[in-house]
Amino acid sequence: MSGRLLIICSLVASVLLVGAYLAAGGSSYEPEQVQDPCQPRAWSNPQNLGQIANQFTNSALDGAACQLGVSREALARALATPEGRKRFSQRYGIDDEKLAKAVRAGLLRAVDDAEEAGALSPLLALPLRRTLEEIPLDQAIEIINNAQGFLGDVESFLGPAGDIIEELLPGPGLLP
Amino acid sequence: METSPRPRVVALALAVGVVLADSSIVVLALPEIYRELDTSVAGVTWVLISFNLVMALAAVPAALLARRVGPGRAAAVGLAIFAGAGLACGLADELSTLIVARCAQALGGALAVTAALELLPATVGSERRATAIWASAGATGAALGPAVGGFLTELVSWQSIFLIQVPVALAAAVPILAVAKHEAATGIIEPELRQTGRPHLWANLALAMVSAAIAAALFLLVLLLIEGWRLTPIEAALVVSVMPLAAILSGRLTDLVPDARSRAAAGAILVSGGLAGLAFLPKATILLTLPPQILVGIGLALVLSALTETALGGRAPQAIHGGWTISSRHAGVVIGLLVLTPVFTADINQQRHDAIDAGTAVILDSPVSPLLKLDLAERVSQQLETERGKVPTIEPAFEPKPVDPVERAEVEQLQSELQDQLDRGATHAFSTSFLLAALLGLIALFPIALARRVDL
Repeated sequence: MSGRLLIICSLVASVLLVGAYLAAGGSSYEPEQVQDPCQPRAWSNPQNLGQIANQFTNSALDGAACQLGVSREALARALATPEGRKRFSQRYGIDDEKLAKAVRAGLLRAVDDAEEAGALSPLLALPLRRTLEEIPLDQAIEIINNAQGFLGDVESFLGPAGDIIEELLPGPGLLP
Repeated sequence: METSPRPRVVALALAVGVVLADSSIVVLALPEIYRELDTSVAGVTWVLISFNLVMALAAVPAALLARRVGPGRAAAVGLAIFAGAGLACGLADELSTLIVARCAQALGGALAVTAALELLPATVGSERRATAIWASAGATGAALGPAVGGFLTELVSWQSIFLIQVPVALAAAVPILAVAKHEAATGIIEPELRQTGRPHLWANLALAMVSAAIAAALFLLVLLLIEGWRLTPIEAALVVSVMPLAAILSGRLTDLVPDARSRAAAGAILVSGGLAGLAFLPKATILLTLPPQILVGIGLALVLSALTETALGGRAPQAIHGGWTISSRHAGVVIGLLVLTPVFTADINQQRHDAIDAGTAVILDSPVSPLLKLDLAERVSQQLETERGKVPTIEPAFEPKPVDPVERAEVEQLQSELQDQLDRGATHAFSTSFLLAALLGLIALFPIALARRVDL
């Protein structure tokens, strides 16, 4: 075999391999990029309290993360446990006061998004906003972590009166 | 000399093989050392760098010393130092102790390997044959090193890879002692003390660049397999054995193409092509690492033999020029590791964060109930904390699985999506480093081309 032929074969084999891997998606095989929390996240059409709670939580996390300049995912991990909150605070230099402010802002954005999506009636949105504006940090975190329980409580609190009001209001309803 | 040449040839080949295997034998043990000695990825690379750096610096002075005091004595002393330092490595319980012992191992190893090249021509009666035995013993050692290291690490411990070298090195020293005794008794240094010619600059420079690329290929691939894809050392050893296997099987190509310059160029191209393939893996599966490894294996067989042949061909004394090739190869390994370690450690951290963020997004956007989601997020968070900066294992965070079949299916889907994000992160973390290593391989084409014009 001649030296030149060997070099050509080597080049062809290398180009074929790299070309095949690139064609199979080798240049884009990486973790999916997370969404910017400051951009609106579309609300799908929620069918039950669980789905509303899911979207409420995501909106609240987006709102808080946007205000803090971190990702929704980093904030979610921070809020999952007290230790996570401590690590988050050390890593990003965010104290409890700043966190409380951001979490409240996030909850307010969640109420806005829910109202805009027609999942929460204006009748409930107003008092909810008032309550959330002053809520302590631990309770605010509890709401994010257990939005379903919180929304369920709101529904129970309204009781039969809620149903009557719902009947009178236009739109898809207060809560399922 | 009184002993028959055969045991001495075997002993010398064994000495060269065990010393040059030491450059790569530790690669598969690095993740285990990294965990057990509680260090960082950057820290543990010094177990590899220290040995190669001292080999690079000591090879030529060791060859000169071997010629001055007598190669028999130099080889025996070198093997004794190598064995003693191996024992110290096996007993080390701190990274600093291990690194110091590795430096001592390299000093002894440099003395033994270069002295062996001085002893072999007198033992086998032909300089050409001596060079061939020396080069193939070194290549076999370097090729078998990772697999042997992987098996020993998993079946026994990482310490065993050093401890096993002690009896092997001492056994190799026994037949050489006769030469050492003869030198001491007669005061005669047998090899003719000829003037040393200039080393072949371009061939040695190309060797350094190619060695940097190959060392990077092996080291990065092992880290990807063990730390990224969570293979056991034995599994990883089997996977990376494809490279030396391809090198051995393609050995006939060396005979088919007599032109060393073409073989060197083709080899450098194949090494770079294989590394570029590893940089663009389209999925985290072992099967896809095989074609690039085959290219790297064939490439290294072609390029290393061609460049060593060129560097040593017609040059005397062999020990000194062998010292230069040893020095160039190990300097290349050091360059490769020093250039690439900061790149891939930064990339691993970044990709780990990106993968964890992507995985968290998968959990947050999943249809599972918020309470279960919260529970999973908490468990995954705790798991990440337990893993402390390493690419995390997520299975424990998903155990026990929910009893409800619908929830169970949702959680299993979630686990699979999360694992996919982590695999993507772990694989992508090595892409830039593999590409840089490919570039180092291509850079070797310049000295190969210059060598053609200047003095080949």
